[in-house]
Amino acid sequence: MFAYIVRRVLATIPVMAIVALFVFSLLYIAPGDPAAVIAGDQATPQDVERIRESLGLDRPFLVRFGEWLFRILQGDMGVSIFTNLPVTTMIQQRIEPTLSLMVLTLCLAVSIAVPMGVVAAWKQGTWIDRAVMGFAVLGFSVPVFVVGYVLAYVFALELDWLPVQGYTAFSNGFFPWLENLILPAIALGGVYIALIARITRATMLEVLQQDYIRTARAKGAGQRSILFLHALKNAAVPIVTVIGIGVALLIGGAVVTESVFAIPGLGRLTVDAILRRDYPVIQGVILLFSFVYVLVNLAIDLLYTLFDPRIRY
Amino acid sequence: MDRRNLLKAAAAAGALGATAGMPAPALSQGTAARTLRFVPQANLANFDPIWGTQYVVRNASAMVWDTLYGVDEKLEPQPQMVEGDTVSSDGLTWTIKLRDGLRFHDGEKVLAKDVVASITRWMPRDPMGQMLKAIQNELVAADDRTVRWVLKSPYPKLRFALAKVGTPCCFIMPERIARTDSFTQISEYVGSGPMRFVRNEWVPGAKAVFQKFDGYVPRSDAGTWLAGAKRMMVDRVEWLIMPDAATASAALQNGEIDWWENPITDLVPTLKRNRNIAVDIADPLGNIGSFRMNHLHPPFNNVGVRRAVLMAMSQEDYMRALVGDDTDLWKALPGYFTPGTPLYSEEGGEILKGPRNIDAAKKLLAESGYKGEPVICVVAQDQSITKAFGDVTADLLKRLGMNVDFIATDWGTVGQRRAMKNPPGQGGWSMFHTWHAGADCVNPASYNAIRATGENAWFGWPSAPAVDAAISEWFAAPDLASEKAAIGKVNRLALENVVYAPTGFFLGYQAWRRNVTGIQKGPLPFFWGVAKA
Repeated sequence: MFAYIVRRVLATIPVMAIVALFVFSLLYIAPGDPAAVIAGDQATPQDVERIRESLGLDRPFLVRFGEWLFRILQGDMGVSIFTNLPVTTMIQQRIEPTLSLMVLTLCLAVSIAVPMGVVAAWKQGTWIDRAVMGFAVLGFSVPVFVVGYVLAYVFALELDWLPVQGYTAFSNGFFPWLENLILPAIALGGVYIALIARITRATMLEVLQQDYIRTARAKGAGQRSILFLHALKNAAVPIVTVIGIGVALLIGGAVVTESVFAIPGLGRLTVDAILRRDYPVIQGVILLFSFVYVLVNLAIDLLYTLFDPRIRY
Repeated sequence: MDRRNLLKAAAAAGALGATAGMPAPALSQGTAARTLRFVPQANLANFDPIWGTQYVVRNASAMVWDTLYGVDEKLEPQPQMVEGDTVSSDGLTWTIKLRDGLRFHDGEKVLAKDVVASITRWMPRDPMGQMLKAIQNELVAADDRTVRWVLKSPYPKLRFALAKVGTPCCFIMPERIARTDSFTQISEYVGSGPMRFVRNEWVPGAKAVFQKFDGYVPRSDAGTWLAGAKRMMVDRVEWLIMPDAATASAALQNGEIDWWENPITDLVPTLKRNRNIAVDIADPLGNIGSFRMNHLHPPFNNVGVRRAVLMAMSQEDYMRALVGDDTDLWKALPGYFTPGTPLYSEEGGEILKGPRNIDAAKKLLAESGYKGEPVICVVAQDQSITKAFGDVTADLLKRLGMNVDFIATDWGTVGQRRAMKNPPGQGGWSMFHTWHAGADCVNPASYNAIRATGENAWFGWPSAPAVDAAISEWFAAPDLASEKAAIGKVNRLALENVVYAPTGFFLGYQAWRRNVTGIQKGPLPFFWGVAKA
């Protein structure tokens, strides 16, 4: 197992190298000019050119890529073209809100979606099943920003229970932290809940047909024990896989959610950087996201061994 | 661990978590009243007002750095850091004396050498500064409080150059910082104005914080805009960046913010219905919409084609596409200068007045020799103003029978592409849309877009020596009457040559909670004098 983990961690290096080359090349060929954005609308073409030179944006692709790669290998993601702040500092400023939002959404989604899927499978064909599946269709269909606006309108503007926007750091207290994040997490979690609930239901339906479930029933095992101990554990592998895949969904959804609720997270940092063509920041954030995604996949692979003892690496 | 122990551990962890989760002490009411929460027009992505000349940077910088002179609401330059000045009888030597007691935020005195370095850094980035640099003989610190500026020829508008609100403003920084090249960003933010920039609380894209500087000595005379006493009535100003207008609107209604710089027109009726919120015009100088044509390449290198477009265009269409049916927010503009200001002129503006005549425009287009060359219309879709203008222009050109290639893109790409002088078919462009702050268009001083110096002009590179000669007449004008005559001429000649196509004059709103007082109307949000109950 240990050797497997080491092999997988080492395998991230070429993956990250390919991501780095891909991102750098894509940004190089993409249209847009940070110098023009910096210079402002009233700047002359000569001003824009001078700024481009001062930023080194007029140098050849290979020179720029080589320098960037050299710095990355030393753990230096560079400095933002616009803010003059190190990219690592900007990421540090933004990582907590995004991480908080994703973890809360994940917890919320799993704790709601898995029981929903289990119950829907257990009550297959009943109104409960149809209600759960109806909710899943709704969760898939309504965009995150619509859910966000509706929640903010009802719970912040009309009822005045929660704030409309912003983020309070966890260090300032759990409840203030939760107050700011609960609406965004529900908005972001909608799609995720729908996805996990559907997969849980489908997998559970399959498992509930298995012989060992019939045997458990014959032995007089209780319904709860059958559902959550015998069936769910055996249905867990595809569910965990979908939860892992869903992390990518969350990263994408966080961009919109952070904008709607004005949360200063990595999603907004990415969008701002893309719109301004702040290359070092875009490259840094995408590398980070890629790395996180690779690690999540590794964690999911390792979790398989917990749920299915037949899986060995 | 058995079940009982597990439960005990969970309970203990829960209690610990609950303690850790106790809310942090809330700000007292007094503290909250001393903090002004403001949503600016855009993200404060950098903080060097000379290197980056975006308006949002200028607006934040006006709190942190002071200027030698400042314009008031009549656009008259008034002494600010300056105690007084004298001009030699030949108009060539300016002696500027600083006020006593001026200090930077690091506690150091503001000295004449800091002023010299700041002016020197500002000059290459500013049109008036470039003119001054070209005629400068000597700029030196005569003593700690006196700057001597010797010119080769008189420059009557020197005070205005140092006082204007148009970007870049001539902000005064410590010499060691101002020695940074104009095209390189500074990394130390030591100001001379009434507020300090709290760098360690700056989260670009989310928040910027400014704290009252107790060492600032305001002028004793009352003033408006950038002139007079800059007295801070709050201790702390927080800029909260909200990219989503609906969120900012909800936050203002919920009392989570105090002042919103630029609510979008669609949301204004909702805000006006809320009795806790005041809504008013933000800047009476407003904005002038524009589409610029590329004068280097066909078809717009032909003045006949440009005039045909001008003849056909309806400014009402542009303005209604932008602000809807709120007629308080726009007016037709048969010229290039800001309405309601002393130099406003409609001379030569007949081509933009009266009912639009598409048939006559088509005839002029045919006579001008237009052969169906493609018009590459590059339109930024991520800016509501340019998107609205672009849609109207595309329709207009099609109705004129022009061959339109509409390229929908983002502002970042427009910014890059408009700098390219290649023919439109080879990566270049034929037209793009933008807008100019009315404060920049009150006269030609900061108005790059009106210059027609060919290859050295602003994007589009219009070449009309007569326009520039008229602008020079304005710079040399000794009195208001002569200035008005020169501006009338500039307006007429610029329209004859179609330096660019003005799409109309439009205003925007600002909104604030009613417990906030002292908000001025102006080209930027002025934070001095603003109090919160």
